[in-house]
Order: sequence, then structure tokens, then C-alpha cells
Amino acid sequence: MNVKRRTLLKTAALATVGSVMPGCRQHVDHLIPYLLPDDEIIPGVDDWYASVCNECVARCGVLVRTREGRAKKLEGNPDHPVNHGKLCVKGQASLQSLYNPDRLRHPFQREGPRGEGTFIPLEWEEGLRRCTQAFQNISEPPMMVTRPVSGTLARLLSDFMDSIGGRLYFYAPDAELPLHAAWHESMGSDASPFYDLAHADYLLSFGAPFLEHWLSPVAMGIAFGHMRQGRTTVRGRYIHIEPRMSVTAVNADQWIPIRPGTEGMLALGIGQLILDTPLSALAGKVLDRFRGFYGTVRLDEVESATGVARDVIARLAHDFASARAPLAIGGGAACSHTNGTISLIAINGLNALVTSMGRESVARGLRQDETRLERSIPWLTEQMVFELVEKQKEVDARPALLLYGCNPLFTMPPSVPIKALFERASFVVSFGSFLDESSEYADLLLPDRDMLESWGDHVAESTTQTIGLSQPVVTPLYDTKQIGDTILDLSRRLDLGYVQAPTFYDLLRERWKTFLADKPHDETADWFESAWIASLQQGGWWQGPSRRALPVNFAPSREFEQAVFFGEEHEYPFVLHPYPSMALGHGEGANRPWLQELPDTLTTVVWGSCVEVNPKTARDLGIAQGDVVRVTSPFGSLTASVVLFPGIRPDVVAMPLGQGHASYGRYAKNRGVNPAELLAPALDTVTGTLAAGATRVRIEQTGLKGRLAMLERPTVEESNLITIKPH
Amino acid sequence: MSHSPILRGVSVLLFTGVITAGVGILYSSGSSDSESQDMQPVSFSHAWHAGQLQVDCLYCHRFAAVSATAGVPSVQLCMSCHGNLIEENAEAQTLSRYWHQQQPIPWVRLQRLPDFVYFSHEMHVRADLNCTDCHGHVERMSHTPRAASYEMGWCLTCHRQRGASLDCLTCHQ
Repeated sequence: MNVKRRTLLKTAALATVGSVMPGCRQHVDHLIPYLLPDDEIIPGVDDWYASVCNECVARCGVLVRTREGRAKKLEGNPDHPVNHGKLCVKGQASLQSLYNPDRLRHPFQREGPRGEGTFIPLEWEEGLRRCTQAFQNISEPPMMVTRPVSGTLARLLSDFMDSIGGRLYFYAPDAELPLHAAWHESMGSDASPFYDLAHADYLLSFGAPFLEHWLSPVAMGIAFGHMRQGRTTVRGRYIHIEPRMSVTAVNADQWIPIRPGTEGMLALGIGQLILDTPLSALAGKVLDRFRGFYGTVRLDEVESATGVARDVIARLAHDFASARAPLAIGGGAACSHTNGTISLIAINGLNALVTSMGRESVARGLRQDETRLERSIPWLTEQMVFELVEKQKEVDARPALLLYGCNPLFTMPPSVPIKALFERASFVVSFGSFLDESSEYADLLLPDRDMLESWGDHVAESTTQTIGLSQPVVTPLYDTKQIGDTILDLSRRLDLGYVQAPTFYDLLRERWKTFLADKPHDETADWFESAWIASLQQGGWWQGPSRRALPVNFAPSREFEQAVFFGEEHEYPFVLHPYPSMALGHGEGANRPWLQELPDTLTTVVWGSCVEVNPKTARDLGIAQGDVVRVTSPFGSLTASVVLFPGIRPDVVAMPLGQGHASYGRYAKNRGVNPAELLAPALDTVTGTLAAGATRVRIEQTGLKGRLAMLERPTVEESNLITIKPH
Repeated sequence: MSHSPILRGVSVLLFTGVITAGVGILYSSGSSDSESQDMQPVSFSHAWHAGQLQVDCLYCHRFAAVSATAGVPSVQLCMSCHGNLIEENAEAQTLSRYWHQQQPIPWVRLQRLPDFVYFSHEMHVRADLNCTDCHGHVERMSHTPRAASYEMGWCLTCHRQRGASLDCLTCHQ
């Protein structure tokens, strides 16, 4: 092509001007003023509101920073007796529940077949009318499954279900029911367990993930800090016993990789050795009931079953018995076996044993407030699911199902017939804020407001009697209704007449007026207004003196039993150890991007699922880091990438829970796998809850290489590997 | 017709020079069409309100003394006066239209500091600075233009003169 110089110059000049012109344009920002100013809002100045975190049952107090009517940041409430100004990662990320783009913004009605997840939007009036109609037409008592709630909402839901002749159940995958059952058995009281970590000087933890997600993790973390570094005279020692080295375990002075399901056995061995000391002989007959329980197994049986050498057991027993304030706690992995409750009885009993021998008791029961209604609400255990389905099939019952704040279709394994419970239901209504695996089965979605848009009160388990008060800190973003208001509206439409309050806010105030009337207050006409505002500003009501601890009384009504595993050992050589991810929990945090991008503290895996395998096992199987393996149990099979993790027994493989959602929004969906799919319907023999650690698996190569996102590639040195002696 | 090579060279140089100068001017002015970009949805006159009517700056920018941001007046505040006036001109009618349609006015933002600068109106008002010290005599301007960029040297000159903090962390927190 013949290009003249002139043409070339013209073209070059045009191109220059053309490419430069867009750069000359300045970005235009807009200043959008209020149409009507809000007197409480000064642009650029923060407003702080006290409220309560809704992410777990610990109910930490929070302060929410808002600016121009938008919630910006959550911090712990420094005055709150549970968390003293601290807040965990889940609490921090709860902002992403409020602003989550996948929130249900108005009511929906199912359009296609049930479970397909196709819904059409609905007006509230129409939604409430349909719900009322459904309740009017039912002939059988409906059932409601909700996450554990307390305070005014618990009372309202309970009264509502009573007045329509239904049954209210609590369900939470992390409820640790064996813990409470074992406390009842081993301490002989209905009190709530309270472990005074801060004042212990020797801590023996059997799998309790108290620095991750156990009971009240923030309070536990603070107490642990005090135990280790808060006293000038003593630094508490801490021994952790678990098949896998958890985040909690890495903080221990020693980690003992015990064989899964034998934690109770080890406690028996320790107890036996303590009872054999001359010191115990001095205690006399008072220890006879302990001898009856702890003497049921021989020490060599303990040694061979647990894989813990006798000298180690002897040292543990000696150190525990000679400590000034020893404490044994059990939970997490220790109670996720068929003998979970029994194991915890043996573990708790160690506290009772040393207390009987004159040691200071730091495992105490908290006396329960008689008015705590939620204690009487039954739990939907996996055993209960089996029984309900069987009973429904017998009489061909199809009760309506109300669902709130839990996702049992995701968290319960498919080997438990929870799906049948949903499929059999004549009508399913979900009050959740998100569409998840369970609410996809709903006929009607009547979305609740976010915690930051809602009123509520919550009772916290603490030595100080604490009732948190949550308040809306932002104007509701969408056309949603707080569940309390939805229930009140339905009650009026059904003419149930058990409650007169027009809104949940009024009901809450009524109850607080009665509650605060008993407490010291001004004798003015408007005393309640000032007391109410003071409670809101403080974030609730709490008052010393500390609740009195109850004396322990070891009185187990059961004998020790061994854990049972599902799957033959020769076919399924590994025990599967599923553990709740520190960020995603049992999957409830999977729709929060901040939590998704939080790498696992130990493996540094992020955004996906993995199988943790001991490097020695991997070498024997010819598996390398990142290989995709098939994990198969007698109940299911799935594939995930291998992470070589030295902190796990060679006969155990671990998988984090939380991923593998088929629903639950854009951030959670189709990411990783759900290890619950592998689990056997193994149940704790006392409480009937799922024994999640009782499934055996095998792992096979697929020949594929996985795309595992990790923050860093750990170097696994031969010298770092643990040695587990064969018995 | 034929031109000498020198003439041709000069014309090419002139042509490219003009183009380059044009682009340079556009860049140096900060905007190729600053007038149209700074055009507000309602042609508000500071000269009229602040100059002629002597409305105090803080009457409309009422958060300057208590907040980091000065704020723009709510539509309701505009209407607290204009609601009682006859719609005297086209601009007042535009304002009324926003109010009747219950729409906020999308004002074009003229002043903006980079995100790495921490600036608070409150501190500067408390230090008895006049609004005009930084924003110029807007009470004489019927059309408020995009301000000259607030560069660090300009800030520091004043900080030095008044003995204010020169610590980096004062403004770059």
C-alpha cells in the first residue's frame, strides 16, 4: 500500500487526538442531598447503636457504626459481660448478611414443582392471606423448626404454636446436645455447664474447639488469654486431645492425637489412675461412685484402644490430680460419636472427681432462671427425624411445616430422612432471609428482616445474668417483615387471641416493662421510657452479682460404652473427621464473601473443599498434594483435592464442613463439596443427635489434579511428622 | 502547483504543533468541556444567595461546623424559603419540580480531595477560617466553577502561615 507522508501524518494526528480526548473528560461525581433531612443524621458523623450479634448462640454484644443511615462496621460492645468489646470474624462479617445481594426482598410463592426453587414474587397481603388459608385448612398439628431463639421471640413462637395446636422444635447442627445431657448426668443438675477457663491452671481438653466455635467462643478466647497470660503467679497449662490438630489444639502445650471415639476411654483411664493414688484413699467413701464408673475398663485396654501410651496417661492423671484448679472439658470431636454423651460424662466426671478430693472447682453449673422457656422446647435431633417420619408414614400424616433460621436439608446427611419430612409436608412456609437448600422446598417464602433491621431480646449464657437487646440500626432495605410481626399478623388473621400487642416492638416493650418493673427504678410516671432508652443505649440489661454456681454431684445413670463406626475397617480404612470450618461453620457463613476469602488458619485453603491426609498415609497411597481423590463411605461418595496435613492421625482423614451448597446465593453455590453427604445415620445413644465422626471412608486416586487455592504451600518435613506407635 | 520542501516541512510542523498545543491546553484546563460538565441541574447562584441576600454559608452547608463534610442542603431546606415565594424564574420552577416529584437534586460535585487525604471542615471552621479562604469568593460568582485543585503545597502554605500542624499524619492518617 502506498501511503503518502501527508496521509500518514494526518492519520497519526487524528489517532493521537482520538485517543487523548476521552482522557480529557473528568469523572463527574454527584452530591445527592436528602429530600427530607433526618434530624438524627449528620453527614460525615458516625452514629453508634448498641445491639446483639445474631451469628451464633453466644449472643455477643455489638456496637454498630452507622453513617448517613447505613451500617458500616460492627465492633464488640466493651460493656457487654459476654464479649467485653471483642467480636469474632463471623460477627464482623454479619454486615454482609444485611447487604447481601441474594437476600429475599419480598414474599414469594412457589411456582414449579416443590424443591425446584422456582418462585414468583407476591405482595405481603397476599402472602399472609395464603398462609392464613393454609393454616385454616389443615387438619393435623403443624410443626415449626427454628434455630434456637430466646426471649420474647421464643415466647411468641411457642405461644403461637401452642395456640394452633402445633409443635415447636429447635434445630442447630452445632447444638452439642450431648454436652448438656452429659452435664445433667455427671453433675446431677439441670444447670447450664460453665467452664471457668480463666481461673483454671491445668486444662485438659478432649476435642473442645473452644477457640473456634464452641459455646461462646469470644468469651472462651478472652478467658483462655487470662488463663495463659493474665495472672502473674501462674501460666495455665493446656493439653489438647483430638485425632486432628485443630486451631484450638495448636494453642496447646501438647497435642495428643488420640484414636477417634476413644476420648471417653482415656478419661476412664485418667480417672482410674487418679483413684489409685494415695490421695484418693484419704477421700474415703465419697469416691465409691467414681470407682464404680471409672473402674469398668482395664488400663491396658485403654492404652490399646486410645493409642496413647501408658506413661502419657499416667502423666496426665498425675498433672490433673496435682493441679490447684484443674479443668477437663469435652466437646466437638469428642461428642460426635455414638458414645458422645457417655464420653462427656467420663470427661466431666474428672472435674467432679478432683473436686471431691478437695481441689478448686472451675467446672460449674449455672443456676437456671426459672422463666427460661426455651429450656423446655424440644430439639429436632436426627433420631427425632427418623421417629417423626416413621410416625407420619404410619398414620399417613402430612403436617404443615414452618421453617426459620436453619437449613436442615444441607446440614443433616441425606442418610437421615429429613427430605422425607419436607416432601411429606402439606404446606411449607419459610421465614428465612435467604433461599437455601431447605427453603427451596417451601411453598411460601415470607422473608424475615436482617438482625440490623430488627427488634429483639436474647438471653446469653454467662456468669452474669445477661439479656441483650437488639434494635434496628438502619431503615429496612427491602419489603421484608420481621418474623415476630409476621407471626402476630397471622395470629390476628387466625383469630388466636393469645396476644394483644399490635407489633413485635410493642410486645417486646410490654415484656421489658414487666421485667424492669421488678428491678430498681425511679418512681416517676415515665420511668419505663428512661429505663428502656438506657437499656437500648447499653445494649441490654445485665447485672451482678454473678450467678451462684451449683455444687457438683457425680451421679451417672449409665455405664461406659464404646463408640460404634459405620463401614468395615478393611473396606473403609479411614475414619472421616468432618469439622465445622472456622469461618463458614456448618455452611451458614458460606454466602458471605469475607468469610469465603478467609483462608483456613492451618491449611491455608481458601474458596474450596479439601481432604486433609497425613503425609505418611498419602505416601503409602501414592497421593500427592493437590491430587483429586474420591472419598467413599458406605453412604455416599464425593471428590476433593488432597491437602497434606501433618496434624492428623494417619488413620483419619478430615474434611471441613461449610461448602458444597447447591443453593444459598451466588457466593455459596457450586463451591466445593458437602462432607455431610458421606455421613452415616449414626446417632448418639443418649441424645439421638448425629454422631458425625462415626463414618469410615476409603480414598481412591482419580488421576486428576485439583485447583486448590492456598495462601501458601506448606513444607512438610519428615522430622515434623508425628509418630503414632502401632499397638 | 508545487511547494518547496521547506514550506511543506513548516506546514507539517505547524499542523502537528497546533494539535499538540490544543491537546495540551485541554489537559491544562483540566477539562475539555468543563462548562458543560459543571453544569448543575438547577442553575444555583451563590452570588444571589450568599452575595445579594447575604445568606450565611452555614445556613445551607449546615454541617461544616460539626462534621468532616459540609453537606449540601436538603431539598426541603431550599423549599423552606422557595415554598413561600412565587416561582419567580425558570430555575425556581425547576427546583419546585424536584420537590413536587419528591426527587433529590443530583448536584454535580465540584470539590473533591483524594481518598488519601483526611480533611475535616469542622476543624477548619473551628480554627476561625473563613469559607472564602479556601473556596474563594463564591458570593461574587453567579456560576460556581470547579475549583482549582487543592494541592498539598497550597495546604501547607496556609498551615505554615498559621502555625498549624505540619505532621504528615495530620492529613495522611
